[in-house]
Amino acid sequence: MNLPPVLRLVVRNFSSNLDPITVLIRFGQPAITIVVLGTMFTTIVSSSVTGGSSYTAFLIPGMVAFQMITGGIVSGNLFWLDRRWAMTEQIFSGPFLRSEYLGGLVLTTLLFSLVGVGVMILVGVPFIGLPALSVASVGMVLATVALGSVFFAGLLIALGTRLRSANAYFSIQSFLQLFVIFLSTVYYPVTARTPRVLAAIFYGNPLTYAANTIRDAFANSFAGSDFEALGILAVLATAAFGAAIWGFRTLELGPIQ
Amino acid sequence: MMTDGVVLETKDLGYSFAPGRFAVRHLSLTLRRGEILGLLGRNGAGKTTTVRLLTTLLTPTEGTASVLGQDVRTGGRALRSRLGVVLQAESLDFVTVERNLTLYAFMWGVPREVAKARAEEMIALFELGAVRHRKPWALSGGERRRFQVARELMHEMEILFLDEPTVGLDAVARRRILRYLRDRARGGLSIVFTTHILHEADQLCDRIAVLHLGRLIALDTAEALKRRHGGAREVAIAFESVLAPALRVDLGRELSERGATLLEIPGEPPLPPNRLSFRAERAEELLPWLTQWTQSHGLSLERLSVEETTLEGAFLGMIGDTEENGEGTDSRESPSAERLPPGREGEVP
Repeated sequence: MNLPPVLRLVVRNFSSNLDPITVLIRFGQPAITIVVLGTMFTTIVSSSVTGGSSYTAFLIPGMVAFQMITGGIVSGNLFWLDRRWAMTEQIFSGPFLRSEYLGGLVLTTLLFSLVGVGVMILVGVPFIGLPALSVASVGMVLATVALGSVFFAGLLIALGTRLRSANAYFSIQSFLQLFVIFLSTVYYPVTARTPRVLAAIFYGNPLTYAANTIRDAFANSFAGSDFEALGILAVLATAAFGAAIWGFRTLELGPIQ
Repeated sequence: MMTDGVVLETKDLGYSFAPGRFAVRHLSLTLRRGEILGLLGRNGAGKTTTVRLLTTLLTPTEGTASVLGQDVRTGGRALRSRLGVVLQAESLDFVTVERNLTLYAFMWGVPREVAKARAEEMIALFELGAVRHRKPWALSGGERRRFQVARELMHEMEILFLDEPTVGLDAVARRRILRYLRDRARGGLSIVFTTHILHEADQLCDRIAVLHLGRLIALDTAEALKRRHGGAREVAIAFESVLAPALRVDLGRELSERGATLLEIPGEPPLPPNRLSFRAERAEELLPWLTQWTQSHGLSLERLSVEETTLEGAFLGMIGDTEENGEGTDSRESPSAERLPPGREGEVP
């Protein structure tokens, strides 16, 4: 029995582009952050700053939120490499629709992000135990990571459809990654002492909404702001995915550098 | 609708990438089942654009194209699933050669066992055994090209488009691939083949379409193109006996009247008295007359040889003629393209 085209493309994405070292680095980096940064900062950061929990307990939901960037980058890079190595054109000349290829990328992103969520939770077990998440909390975490992943994947894919140089693509991607991570509440909370300008930038960053919502989900205590955050993520994900669709519709096939 | 085994038909097909700028224009041609059609042309002639139009990667802006009975504008996946395409660009996945083959087959929905057997067949056929466990970027240019053709042959198809598949291949590999393609065509596979290597087009293709600046300037068999556009060829004659000076003058005059030029260069040592050479357009058409003339003068021919016309000579002749006739204007860059005489698709049948 033949799998549907989208699933065949997902299998191909995982088989052809995600070698073990890449996977190890993508999941290993945030895992190491939890272990090393969490341990070290717990000794110097007061729990009053992190809402009464240890810094590691504060960091783990942040690293879970971080998975939406990891997933987005995987998808963006997959697309870029396919374009660079003419596989996009090769696939489009076969029995696939552009929408299926895009769907395959998004599904790859989601699978990667959600596996990443599981890995981060498991890495955190020795520090905070297995979080006792309610069904609603699990749903909230998954929905947040899924929407965030679609947002970042859409953004990077849209970027990949416009750029014709690997240098430009990877430079922008690195800058975006750095900017989004450090100007969010993944590593630190926004407090009354946070400079206003930085606080404003933090709240303009979708990763902040995701990290805050996931922290609330881990605490099984939702507020109205969490649903608003989910709504904002949904709007952003739709916009970024729309940009990716537009990019695909107008994608110029042919050699790039 | 397909008629008389025609699997591909274009009528006035065109693609404009900007207002008034055409990559391909007024392209009318057909392909029959089991036929190998060569697309020849200089760089930028429109060969790759034509392949992209016929494989639905680009949407035509003018004219019509029907492939396997389906309009290329609407055929989409259903049409593409019956085609094979070897792109001009190197298209690679980051897994070993062997895995690339089976993975590609999987993407095309080829059953696993069939894919494994076919991968072995392709590895043997394209001599990829030594590199089967290497990743494509570790291969030489020729190996990558062989791999790319092999990969496309992992699935079933009715028309195979090959965009310069033999670039970088050594003579042995090239010959092997061409022979395989010829065999597949005998089995009913139709092939569209672009190349810059005119010799291989001559060997392989049943018919050849010559594109120049986005237009079809000739479409015929290689032999017919050579005959028509091969230019002047040298004919060397050796009589069994000495040719008397008077007869020599007489023959020279008669040949001259038929458009031939005797090759007697002043200052050069004369040819032996029983030999004579001349150059003529359509030299082969003079041969019956020459035989008759020889017999009527009581002479016998010891040897008669006509210089072989190459497809390259014919190709250069066609391109040269087109440019000399003022049709070399790049239709993609100048509005003067609008003034080019319509129907100047040369010998389009």
